[in-house]
Amino acid sequence: MNTVIILLITFPLVFLLSLLFEGIDRKVHARMQKRIGPPIIQPFYDFVKLFNKERIIPMTASSRIFTTVPIIAAAASILGASIPVASLIAGSNVGGDLIIILYLLTISPIMVMIGGSSSGNPYGAVGFSRKMTMLIAYEVPMLICILSVSVNYTSLAYYDIVLTQVKIGSLLALARPSMAAAAAAFVLCMPAYTETVPFDMSEAKTEIVHGSLVEYGGPYLGLVKLAKSASNFALSFLAVSLFFYTPALLERYFSPELGGAMLLCLVTTLIFMVFTMTVPRTIFARLKIGQAFKFYWLVPLTLSIISVALSILGL
Amino acid sequence: MKIAARSRIKSPWLFHLNTGSCAGCDIEIVATLTPRYDVERLGCILVGSPRHADVLLVTGPVTRQMLPRFIRVYEQVPEPKVVVAVGVCAISGSPFVGSQMIEGPPDKIVPVDVYVAGCPPRPEAIVNGIVTALKKKFG
Ligand code: SF4
Repeated sequence: MNTVIILLITFPLVFLLSLLFEGIDRKVHARMQKRIGPPIIQPFYDFVKLFNKERIIPMTASSRIFTTVPIIAAAASILGASIPVASLIAGSNVGGDLIIILYLLTISPIMVMIGGSSSGNPYGAVGFSRKMTMLIAYEVPMLICILSVSVNYTSLAYYDIVLTQVKIGSLLALARPSMAAAAAAFVLCMPAYTETVPFDMSEAKTEIVHGSLVEYGGPYLGLVKLAKSASNFALSFLAVSLFFYTPALLERYFSPELGGAMLLCLVTTLIFMVFTMTVPRTIFARLKIGQAFKFYWLVPLTLSIISVALSILGL
Repeated sequence: MKIAARSRIKSPWLFHLNTGSCAGCDIEIVATLTPRYDVERLGCILVGSPRHADVLLVTGPVTRQMLPRFIRVYEQVPEPKVVVAVGVCAISGSPFVGSQMIEGPPDKIVPVDVYVAGCPPRPEAIVNGIVTALKKKFG
């Protein structure tokens, strides 16, 4: 009962934080290009504006699927983001383990993909096929990373892994060579998961006119955008708390009860997000789908398999 | 309701439609989006699909081929929307006036909110045009 209440409180918190983080991301992106950039609360303006626009459902779309899919996507990714945040606030496992979190976060790209293909637009179909390819490319290494973590600590419960770091007083990524490889593979998978620029072929604006999003407008687009920024936030938060839980290093100063640990974790998440999403997005150009696929099956997959092998050996 | 109006002013997403211009105006619109003029500080993004747009930037006199497509793109932009006619061509048809291939100018076909004069207009003028249009419509 108590956990359900905490989860419900976390919903608006996650909503605000993910939009705020997106705003900071856009600001840093602009500053790196020597621009002034939009105000930090720009995503809030966008969201409110999109919700006050006309709803248009294209004639070619199968309207039932087209309209429900954005709601499921937004709900799933906000829930996926809330579970880790709520677990840290409550200090216990809330709502489910790592597998559930990862699958909630996978629902949102799949839903957007289905929405795009149900719109009846050929660009939506191209977006569908590209997103499917990318899903196969990054999902496998990512799950193997999680497998490696669970082999190492014989646990799939999210909060147990966070506690492990507090117990050993170090970041998981620095604790063992196997975990370092897993963290590297996880970090490399993040830009593809969130579809930021070097790997955004499925939503390439200048190439296939936003792919799956092409027919979405008004409130539906707002929900899809919200789902995207919530899963950006969720993934960075997940990566930080699983592999780089900095409060573990400064445990003496940040007792978990006072919320200081949570704050430090959020700050780390922000810095982490800037380095894994904003910086690559600014300095790289879009890859081709073949190149991205090859990259994912060469580097992160190898790293994650090495990591599993090392953790089986007990390193 | 005030918040809605404010967010509309703060987040205009642009869609750019060439209805048969010489591409001079289009290049100036692209220049407006570069880091030097940085319209993103006003919340503007160039979007690729009319379904996402709030502001329709029209360049060129409407040619006969373009007429049905122009109307269709205009219909695809969800309400509330703003139309900005960029360049003299989109105001009067300037060098093409009297041609039998011209169905425009655009304000004969759809309601236009703001006209930005110039052949082509400078990026500052285009930014000013967008801001004026938003103020006029929602302010
Ligand atoms: S106004 Fe001038 S620059 Fe613009 S489209 Fe017409 S002729 Fe070209």
